[in-house]
Amino acid sequence: MKTTGRRIFLMLSAVCGVSLAGGLPSAARAASGDIKVGVIGPMTGANAPYGSLAWRGASLAAKEINAAGGVLGHKIKLVRGDSQCTPVEGVLALQRMISSDHIKFVLGDICSSATLAYEPIVENAKVLLLNAASSDPTITYKAGVGGYKWTFRNYPTDEQRAGIVLKYASEKMHIHKVAILSVDNDYGRGAIALSKHFFHRYGITAVSEDYFQASTTEFLPELNKIKNSGAQAILMYGYAASSRLVARQMLESGLAGKIALIGNGDFTNPQTIAAAPSVLNGAVEAAAWSPDYNSARSKTFVHDYEAAYRGEVPQVHAFTHWETINLLAAAIRKAGSVDPAAVRRALAGITFDGATGVVKFDSHDQADLPMILYQVENGKPVIKGVFRTAVAYPKP
Amino acid sequence: MPRFTVAGQHFAGQLASGALIIACLALFPLVASSYQLSTLIISMVFLLPALGLNLILGYAGMLSLAQMGFFGVGGYTSALLAMHFGTPFWLNFSAACLVPALLAIPLAIPALRLRHTSFVMCTIAFVFILESVSKNWVGLTRGDMGLSSVPRPRIGLWSGGFIVHTTVQYYYLGLLLCVLAVAALVTIVRSPAGRYMIAIREDEVLAASIGGRTWHYRLAAFVLSAAFAGAGGSYYVHYVTVISPSVFDPTYTNTVLVVVLGGGVGTIMGPILGGVVFIALSEVLRIAPELRMVVYGLILTTSVFLFPKGIVEPLTAVLRGAIPSRARGSHGR
Amino acid sequence: MLQNLLTDGLVIGSVYALVSVGMTVILGVLGQINFAHGEYYMAGAFAAWWAIDRLGLSYIESIPLAILIVAVLSLVIGYVVMQRLVDVSFDAGIIATLGISLLLQNGATLLFGGTYQVFDGGWLAPMRVLGEDIAQQRILIVLVTLAVFGALEWLVRKSSFGKQMRAVAQNVECCHVLGLDVRRVVLITFILGTTLAALSGVMTAPITMNIYGAMGEAITLKSFAVIVMGGMGSIGGTLLAGWVLGIMESLVAAYVGLQFRDAVAFTLLVLVLMWRPSGFFNTKARY
Repeated sequence: MKTTGRRIFLMLSAVCGVSLAGGLPSAARAASGDIKVGVIGPMTGANAPYGSLAWRGASLAAKEINAAGGVLGHKIKLVRGDSQCTPVEGVLALQRMISSDHIKFVLGDICSSATLAYEPIVENAKVLLLNAASSDPTITYKAGVGGYKWTFRNYPTDEQRAGIVLKYASEKMHIHKVAILSVDNDYGRGAIALSKHFFHRYGITAVSEDYFQASTTEFLPELNKIKNSGAQAILMYGYAASSRLVARQMLESGLAGKIALIGNGDFTNPQTIAAAPSVLNGAVEAAAWSPDYNSARSKTFVHDYEAAYRGEVPQVHAFTHWETINLLAAAIRKAGSVDPAAVRRALAGITFDGATGVVKFDSHDQADLPMILYQVENGKPVIKGVFRTAVAYPKP
Repeated sequence: MPRFTVAGQHFAGQLASGALIIACLALFPLVASSYQLSTLIISMVFLLPALGLNLILGYAGMLSLAQMGFFGVGGYTSALLAMHFGTPFWLNFSAACLVPALLAIPLAIPALRLRHTSFVMCTIAFVFILESVSKNWVGLTRGDMGLSSVPRPRIGLWSGGFIVHTTVQYYYLGLLLCVLAVAALVTIVRSPAGRYMIAIREDEVLAASIGGRTWHYRLAAFVLSAAFAGAGGSYYVHYVTVISPSVFDPTYTNTVLVVVLGGGVGTIMGPILGGVVFIALSEVLRIAPELRMVVYGLILTTSVFLFPKGIVEPLTAVLRGAIPSRARGSHGR
Repeated sequence: MLQNLLTDGLVIGSVYALVSVGMTVILGVLGQINFAHGEYYMAGAFAAWWAIDRLGLSYIESIPLAILIVAVLSLVIGYVVMQRLVDVSFDAGIIATLGISLLLQNGATLLFGGTYQVFDGGWLAPMRVLGEDIAQQRILIVLVTLAVFGALEWLVRKSSFGKQMRAVAQNVECCHVLGLDVRRVVLITFILGTTLAALSGVMTAPITMNIYGAMGEAITLKSFAVIVMGGMGSIGGTLLAGWVLGIMESLVAAYVGLQFRDAVAFTLLVLVLMWRPSGFFNTKARY
């Protein structure tokens, strides 16, 4: 029976391990009166830069709210969860927040596949999930009247944006041939799929279609091809890091001033413009926000963020997470309670005075956000129009 | 030599202790929180491909890193069947084992000619090629947009039946699948074919000289390991209900490697313990989110020198003193 | 256009070759795959960024400093971990180097924050070569690579340390018998290999611009393909394999689609292995 004994020992040690895993709440121990808010995102791995931006934005908001006396007398305490942008890690991080840390409010994730995996979990646990960065349209198709009552998204979908960009390019810039160059993920592929619906209407054709990884560092072969293809613009949906590289390499390929960048990808961020000013001149971007946005709240945010993080200019993910923590605080104040059900109801009916205008949620708990159309002129983004991002939902 | 190839009486004792472990695990939900159960569910998700890796590496002596490629293929197969045809879980699961196994046959043609480092690299290559296919075959996989709202497992013969919904139900489903998979692995390695695989691992030339076709057995190990991985993919996709090309991410492969090599390759208990311990460990480390992966990396590196044959050895040695050490084929050089 | 693609492929191929040759010498001497190799590439780029951004040094000054920092880092890791890997199995070596990879990647994130840092340096002004514009930095990368490979060939073939490296690569037991200090050879080779990765990181940083903890991951994976194609241990083979990969990637990116770029390395690897299971150069007797 020695064997049996050994096995029991092994099993016991295993059970101990798991109990330990569940037994200890996060080191970020909160005082009893604090409102704990989970922030889940890719804090390590290839997408860590975006998780880091989200965390910085959210931390700044929590710090500011707490300095001003907190919410209903409670301080906001952020708890960090690492998803590595994979559903597996993310689901565990979320389960830990819900069942060990007793967190009722969660911000996350950056990557859509992780967010989609969270929706059923928060629904069962009656925990409020606020998303501030995933762009897959199905997230909100399934939320609100679509079924999941506990998922809200405060991030624009690309449905309207795709059309607005192409309309402007076609009517104001007389662009009829574009080369598609977008990031190879749900956001880039999704935005291009939506753009294609508008090609016919605005008389636009695509001469080439390429998708890059977030880790791609070499664009010269594409740019060489585009140079000889007769394209008038590059239609790009990406992020700041890739935009800098594309712009710099367009400069190297001698495309500056010949081919415009249109779409979205932090083109209006001063750091992107600084990488290759002559390339970015004339770039068109439809963005939820830009560091140059002229409102008192936005200016204060940019100023405080730069002061807090060694002069780093905030990017869009930092802003959306900062804004969403503020939105959550506003909803808690409106509810007059930290009870998640009351906050959920308050959020559904909120009229939030955001940094870029009024934020409201539609029947699918998708924020109807203002979006701004910019064009870069002489190294500065100039507003060419403001529109709303209301979504036309597919008939069930 | 692995222990289960020893006397039959010993095997009966192991069956009894196995039954006891299963009974304890079956009672675990009575005391566990849903987070602890989720942690064990994820351990079981990785245990299934880990058992396959254990078969091909521990018994046939080939380090295949293609496991998570087959895992992904199994996941996509299961998800697509359930989404388009509403088929019951047993059918999705069987297909998720079968399709990767069939896919493994053509892939084995270039791979099995290779040895050591070239074989390892060739199997890594498969994962990246599959990732590229899943990203670009948008018509089938929706590319990077991924498949979401994958139906939950429906336990029924054809239509109707019971839908697995809560964490506890998922836990029992996983436990059932893992018990079946472990039983299958034990059966395989105890069979004459399994013994021949071990002979190949120990000395391929010698094994060939006693009249077997080593290539056939190595092919069998490769195909069976793919089936185990596919099984894991099926359970995974119906649990998290989403799948996208990120399933082919190297992080997943690394997890399986850690489970098998850190647990103890070439033993039945090794990957089981490795699955529980290393995944629980990565969860325990969430108490210090900033340092988590740094500490995890440190522990991995240290464990190699503390427990060169995996944590199964010290854990068993504690109670039994010296146990018969298992010989393992070395790679490299 | 074809000329442009070939030039670009050659530049990128040189980067791959420079990183991979470090991995291949370590594999030759130690018999272990270094899963953390790209992390030294990252460390080199990070160290140079730190020197420029925080110490206010110029790019040219940051190069030797970055290499020195990585050399010290790999001296520590080599002394504590890599030397001991001589005696452990191939599988255990993978876990050990995977652990180091996590440690370095997340250590950098911990030290400098996880966001992208922007590398500001290098000589990006274009130069006219054979009627085409090309950034000076890119030409420099090719020249440095050629110089490094020339020096390595000399080191391995002619120098006495090269003879020791070859001896350890071929038969460790024999070296012990002959009284050769195997651990010292392993340590020096490891430092040599990782500083080559760091050099590559510093040289490429002005072009890749974005510095972050996980930037080495993709490079590690490409190096795997390059060293196997090159014949594992062959220095000339590694250069050839790097260039072939760089050029193939450029051609595929332009003519097939950028989304297939990252699949080129491994597809090419499988094809090469089907045709020649031992890579371009058969190096039964390594080096």
